[in-house]
Amino acid sequence: MPHSHSQTATPSHLGRGAVIIPALDEESMVADVITSIKEAVALPVWVIDDNSQDSTARVAANTGAKVIRLRERLGAWGAAQTGLREALRLDLDFVVTMDSDGQHLASDILPLVNTLARENADIVIGSCPERGSALRRMAWGLMRLSSGLEHSDMTSGFRVLNRDAIKLLASAEASQLDFQDIGVLLILERAGCRIAEHPVTMTPRTNGKSRIFRSWSAVIFYMLQTLLLGAAKRRRITPRRINPSPDAGGK
Amino acid sequence: MITVVTSAFGLLVAGLLVHLMRRDHLHVSHGVGWSIAIALSALLGFAPGIFDYLAGTLGVSYPPILGVGIAIAALLIKALISDIESTRLKVKQQRLIQRMALLEADLSELTEKKEVGD
Repeated sequence: MPHSHSQTATPSHLGRGAVIIPALDEESMVADVITSIKEAVALPVWVIDDNSQDSTARVAANTGAKVIRLRERLGAWGAAQTGLREALRLDLDFVVTMDSDGQHLASDILPLVNTLARENADIVIGSCPERGSALRRMAWGLMRLSSGLEHSDMTSGFRVLNRDAIKLLASAEASQLDFQDIGVLLILERAGCRIAEHPVTMTPRTNGKSRIFRSWSAVIFYMLQTLLLGAAKRRRITPRRINPSPDAGGK
Repeated sequence: MITVVTSAFGLLVAGLLVHLMRRDHLHVSHGVGWSIAIALSALLGFAPGIFDYLAGTLGVSYPPILGVGIAIAALLIKALISDIESTRLKVKQQRLIQRMALLEADLSELTEKKEVGD
């Protein structure tokens, strides 16, 4: 659902794009998020509703977003990947992924998209390492140690991906991931993709709960899983290879 | 006494397997593997001397531990195979759910267009 607005910026130099927002029970925030994006950039907004129990899907549709509704809950990454598969099917040139809770600012979209073009990168991470508490920074340090990745903000869901990155992440291999952080970056890095970062502002969450940081046991499980994944898939850079399985977008 | 217990256990589990297959709770392909495992354990239950012979041949000084060790190894392999299969099915299920969501979104868009056209 392309959206045009006389005041909005159009990142047309990169071709066709879309903004993907995975959402779970965000009826109070999703309309503001969609509106702010529409005011900032002339890109279609897709909300991937992760089987919300509230009226997130209806609110998003009424605000002018295309809504793709999952019948079973797949988690933030599973929802985001649904959007990537749609982007691959529609042969888009780039996508922006954002959180639905208002932590990411729409005004940062255009700088991120411009960085993708300027740096000739396959993915640009909207980084905000300042947002982390001491504990979170320690977790990031452990993730860096286990995975060998050196990016300053590996857990940010605010990213811009080009067509090659979309192809890789729409694949069945990426469907094995439970989270959209280091596993995603490791897949891209192992394929020889160029990963860039651009500083963004992130605002504190005003309502709802983080899916990962909802309880201590969930955090511990997340950390163990992430550290093991990082160690198991630690980077072994091979020549650029972007040949996802034929069913990456279709099946 | 141990012979009676292990043999009875083997027969009981064999009966349970047949029951589960008859009720469609267990696919027959899984039933084949389990039937072989149960038949072997029942055989060893009726003739525990086999373990004494095997342990002697392999140089294991305490024969019962050989049976326990083999059982643990077999269960570990079975659990691993189950997790591998579960991973494969999880990916398949996730992609089907995603595919269905995309098709439903397409259908909804087409329906809207048709209604506008009418």
